[in-house]
Amino acid sequence: MSRLLRIALREYLAYVRTFGFWLSLMLLPVGLSTIVVAPLAVARSAPVPLVTVVDFTTQKLRGDVVHALATHGDGGKPAGILVEAPGAPFTDVADATARLKPYLTGPQALPGGDRLDAAFILSPAGDTVAVNFWSRNVADQRLQAVVTDAVREAVRRNRLERQGVDARLLGAIDSQQPQVSVFSPKAERGQVSLKDLLPGYAGFAMGMLLWMVVLTGAGMLLNSVMEEKSSRILEVLLTSASVPEIMGGKLIGVAAVTGTVLAFWMTIAGAILTAKSPALASDVAVILLSHGRWAYFGLYFVGGYLMFATLYMTIGAFCETAREAQVLLGPMMIIMTVPLLFMIQSIAHPEAPLLRLLTWIPLFTPFLMAARVANDPPLWEVLGTGAMMLGVTGLELWVAIPAFKTGALATGRFDIRTFAGSLVRRSAP
Amino acid sequence: MDAALVVEGLTRRYGAFTAVENLSLQAATGKIMGFLGPNGAGKTTTLRMILGLVTPTAGRVTVLGEADFARVRNKVGFLPEERGLYRRMTPVTAIGFLAGLKGVPVAEARRRARVLLEAQGLGEAADRQIRHLSKGMAQKVQLLSTLVHEPDLVILDEPFSGLDPVNQQSLETLIRSLADRGATVIFSTHVMQHAERLCDQVVLMSKGRKVFDGTVAAACAATPRTLTLEGAFEPGDVDGLPGLGERTATRLDSGAVRVVAGLRTGAPAQETIRQAFGRGMDISRFEVREPSLHDAFIVLTGGGAPPE
Repeated sequence: MSRLLRIALREYLAYVRTFGFWLSLMLLPVGLSTIVVAPLAVARSAPVPLVTVVDFTTQKLRGDVVHALATHGDGGKPAGILVEAPGAPFTDVADATARLKPYLTGPQALPGGDRLDAAFILSPAGDTVAVNFWSRNVADQRLQAVVTDAVREAVRRNRLERQGVDARLLGAIDSQQPQVSVFSPKAERGQVSLKDLLPGYAGFAMGMLLWMVVLTGAGMLLNSVMEEKSSRILEVLLTSASVPEIMGGKLIGVAAVTGTVLAFWMTIAGAILTAKSPALASDVAVILLSHGRWAYFGLYFVGGYLMFATLYMTIGAFCETAREAQVLLGPMMIIMTVPLLFMIQSIAHPEAPLLRLLTWIPLFTPFLMAARVANDPPLWEVLGTGAMMLGVTGLELWVAIPAFKTGALATGRFDIRTFAGSLVRRSAP
Repeated sequence: MDAALVVEGLTRRYGAFTAVENLSLQAATGKIMGFLGPNGAGKTTTLRMILGLVTPTAGRVTVLGEADFARVRNKVGFLPEERGLYRRMTPVTAIGFLAGLKGVPVAEARRRARVLLEAQGLGEAADRQIRHLSKGMAQKVQLLSTLVHEPDLVILDEPFSGLDPVNQQSLETLIRSLADRGATVIFSTHVMQHAERLCDQVVLMSKGRKVFDGTVAAACAATPRTLTLEGAFEPGDVDGLPGLGERTATRLDSGAVRVVAGLRTGAPAQETIRQAFGRGMDISRFEVREPSLHDAFIVLTGGGAPPE
């Protein structure tokens, strides 16, 4: 086995044997599941509030509120259970408020021993209706919205009926929706379907994935090199292998780690998508695999990873602590948020002039082109930006190899001038 | 001489600072060479140039007959001054990995690692993570990783630093055994006793220049013996005694005077002492002291006269 592969294997095993690796492996599936399941679980486990409605209007709104509470809940449960107002009847709003308040703020319980959670006091207010909402849980805006919407709809209906509009006609009018059809010359059959929108989303997803994987991998390499430098292992490695073998081995090892995580995530995502929506899974697969897009994604992954990993490794060779590295990584991270912002724009405006211009900045090319490539940008742009990215990466490697050695053997605190000088001069120690 | 290492006119400058200047030396195959000098003498820079880590400004290095170090790196073992290993690896995997980089097959590397660890009394720690080992144990593991591929040239930068006396003794034995099997050993040190006991050849460096290259005996011979006279006399009484060079006089608490004088090369100490008694000097103690490597180190590196 060559030195390069030995170094790569050691790097791979060093990460795979850590708890952090398995944590990050499970992070996406567990995180996604949590995002989907948690709100449902919370909604299902929350008790249905007991609600009372006191109606001082002449419009008989109580029935509409009761219907809305019964039909607008989450997870198959009603939004609220209506109970009779304790102490009714009331003379006016002030009386109702004063006599219901102890049930909402104090220890006073309903006749059955239950606790009253909310009260709606409806009263006339000119042409409309005033709704006073009293609740133990001020954060529960859902209940307030359900009742408010029901009251608004009932008031509107009553008023139109008073103007002579038939209730059935009103229902028929409300149920009418325009039949909107979207067409585009880019759409497969003229009319735009979800399948036609998928390239934008798929490109954005790939760009994001690339951004995460590249920066995660580069960060891992930075830490690995810093650890080896601070413990002086790097000096021993340099007497046992060449700089390209050391850097190459590390690049391959960490790429294999991130590749393992990526493959696992994509397998899980693919399996879930196939199980839930085989047609959508098939469409996504077609988008990613047709027109040579997989090759473009591969190119941008390799280019982006090499570009950032080499840079981060070289920085790591000059630093012994994360604090020292932060001098350069802070500004780097600010720069790296730029493609992140524009990748979102690529969904709706993949051909926006500013976006196209930014793809020519080599640091942004891998991410922005990965996001744009699903929308089939002009071939000359793909080839031009790709060539520029690979050219800059090659130049960076040419400069970084001697600089890495300089950094590895340097002692003392990280000095940005020494770092920049070694890059400019390609200084060998 | 069959030389494992030939250094010719080696110079390294960093801007206006010259770390090593026009250094030439040879290390004979199968011998132990001590590379001595005070801090900042240029020892580590020289070792790094020999190992191909630092590019010389001028001069050339030939290691095991090759001018290109990359061609012989598998035959060279190197222990850096500041030591460290992968903390989460076990001694067996760490030694195996580094041996692998030197071209030893994985299975053979691990077998050798276990044999070496057993021989050094670290058999029980072979499969424990290095972070759980004591500093001394970890240093031994690193030394073994330097030797596991049975190198023809072993370069050790300050190998004795941080070791307790027992482990220092054990390392001396190990270095001798390396030379016995035909390997050339070059080590840098500040501790002259190790060099004195081990080295067939010593090279002394000072301010980037070589100030001595030869055997320990030759280094000592280049340094004057000292004569100490103690008694009830005045410092000026020794003026004119034959063979005396530079001298220092100290008045002791007892009121007696102690004179420590260098003896000129070839001067017979007996004649000096006989004449001192002949002058009727009240001498209560005299001592002729042969120079040690430590004395030679101080004199040759410009540190002044050897201590008493």
